[in-house]
Amino acid sequence: MYAVPPMDAPVVDVRALRKVYRVTERETGLAATFRSFVRRRYREVLAVDGITFHIDPGEVVGFLGPNGAGKTTTLKMLSGLLYPTSGEATVLGHVPWRREGSFLRGMTLLMGNRSQLVWDIPAADSFLVLKEIYAIPDAQYRSTLDELTGLLELQPLLHKPVRGLSLGERMKVEFAAGLLHSPGVAFLDEPTLGLDISMQGRIRRFVAEYNQRSGATILLTSHYMDDVVALCRRVIVIHHGVLLYDGALADLAERMAPYKRIGVTLRGTVGDLSTFGEVVSSNENTATIHVPRAQAGERTARLVRELGDQLADISVEDPPIEEVIDKVFASERPLAEATA
Amino acid sequence: MIRIYRQLLIAQIQAAAQYRIQAVLWMLFSIIRPVIFLAAWTAVAAAQGGSVGAYTTSDFAAYYIALTIVGHLTTAWNSFEFEFEVRQGRLSPKLLRPLHPLHYSVVENLIWKVTTFLPLLLVCVVIALTFQVRWTGEWWHLALFVPSIVLAAALSFMIGWVVATSTFWLQRINTVNTLLQRTSFIFAGQIAPLSLMPTALQVVSYALPFAYVLAIPAEILRGGVTPERGLLYLAGQTVWLGLSIVAFQFAWRAGLREYSAVGA
Repeated sequence: MYAVPPMDAPVVDVRALRKVYRVTERETGLAATFRSFVRRRYREVLAVDGITFHIDPGEVVGFLGPNGAGKTTTLKMLSGLLYPTSGEATVLGHVPWRREGSFLRGMTLLMGNRSQLVWDIPAADSFLVLKEIYAIPDAQYRSTLDELTGLLELQPLLHKPVRGLSLGERMKVEFAAGLLHSPGVAFLDEPTLGLDISMQGRIRRFVAEYNQRSGATILLTSHYMDDVVALCRRVIVIHHGVLLYDGALADLAERMAPYKRIGVTLRGTVGDLSTFGEVVSSNENTATIHVPRAQAGERTARLVRELGDQLADISVEDPPIEEVIDKVFASERPLAEATA
Repeated sequence: MIRIYRQLLIAQIQAAAQYRIQAVLWMLFSIIRPVIFLAAWTAVAAAQGGSVGAYTTSDFAAYYIALTIVGHLTTAWNSFEFEFEVRQGRLSPKLLRPLHPLHYSVVENLIWKVTTFLPLLLVCVVIALTFQVRWTGEWWHLALFVPSIVLAAALSFMIGWVVATSTFWLQRINTVNTLLQRTSFIFAGQIAPLSLMPTALQVVSYALPFAYVLAIPAEILRGGVTPERGLLYLAGQTVWLGLSIVAFQFAWRAGLREYSAVGA
């Protein structure tokens, strides 16, 4: 049912993929505008700088990076919309930018801010068009549509013109449209963008359930860390077009954040704790201290020893994933270079 | 492919049904220009004793009514729409599907022509009665007209797509479209039937593709060609259609390499 390559081959295989955009550039003002008529200046923008990774069948991978990091450009190359400047990639055994029919029938790209449905007709009619375009057999079409209708609670939405749907409702039918042909690979670009908390949760549950039921491989970008934490055991972090991290989400903090977070609750008022580490917050009887990762054990023992009976509770944990990612994204140069 | 077209046609009819008034208005706009030239030429013919060259008042009326029908059946606006789709990021969803974006345009184009053809014919009948048109053709003119109009419509459509692909490089192609329309205005037989134009302009007109879209099928429909010349015109249309298809395939492949998928 799903177009997946042999079990031992990665579904997505990316090697030294690079994309440079050539953009026109001119200074502001009327004189500069006239000058640009005569002599146009171009600037090269490096969007993706030689990234390499692969994704195995059935994996759900989070693709993280700040705005302009190169995530969407990468997804566009992997879905065949863009030609790379250099490098290689295969998806389901196909070179994406050759745009072969069997490749296009085996994958989908869903973008949270873009519509692929005809606005003037109900979604059910657009689905029938997609059924023929993807040559979906009748029985498979009915069962897939029934499954998607159940998972996404689509029944009340199917016969309304798409232009009359709310953003959340439209996103649900967009999901169904993108998955009707049962793709083996789904690239999801900000699928929960602009949705309220409740709808975000529904979409997350749907993606998880869809992955379990279908075995489809999913590469997901999102600025909502809740999406990533709920769906992805593995993340790939990209910044300034460079791949910074590729591994387990659980290990991200250990690799990217050189500190641990110690939370203390005291029986009395918090005094000066700066000798134990960087106090990042404190109020009357609680404080949070950042300590170097390698010294977390020794600093915790010192806190217990020196605070004695004053100490009501203590916890040692990695910083929250949002905080780790935020620090990585805030760095001007790639962290891989900074920590090398 | 037949099943895809059937479903696309159904969807497009549903979408088009919501914009009926707009469709009829566009059809009426397309009639204005030929009617103006018809009025002008009949006035000139009347002032010169009833004819200009080989064209009587009735011939002019027949030519411009034929030109109106041909213009309607060969119109293609896909280059305007393509630019809009690229700029708005609406091309990308189509590129992600295993169906060339050209097929959606074929269906939109067909639906518009079919749904507005009947009102257009009614308007043409009124004009024909007003100007006392007399059709001088033979049955084989109608037989020749069928392949000629199909070739002309396909040629116009493919020229539109060749122009459309320039969006990949230029982003805005309004000026290219305007240039094409102005050139077509001069060389496609819109100002006057080709045989009334200066010899040099006639030579250029037959060398360019525009007359094969408008003037030539209109002359065939009017009954203004010999069988030999009619077949020669069909051959010319076929050559230009072949060239436009090759040009489109080349431009499309090269253009996709330039596509930056902006806004999508």
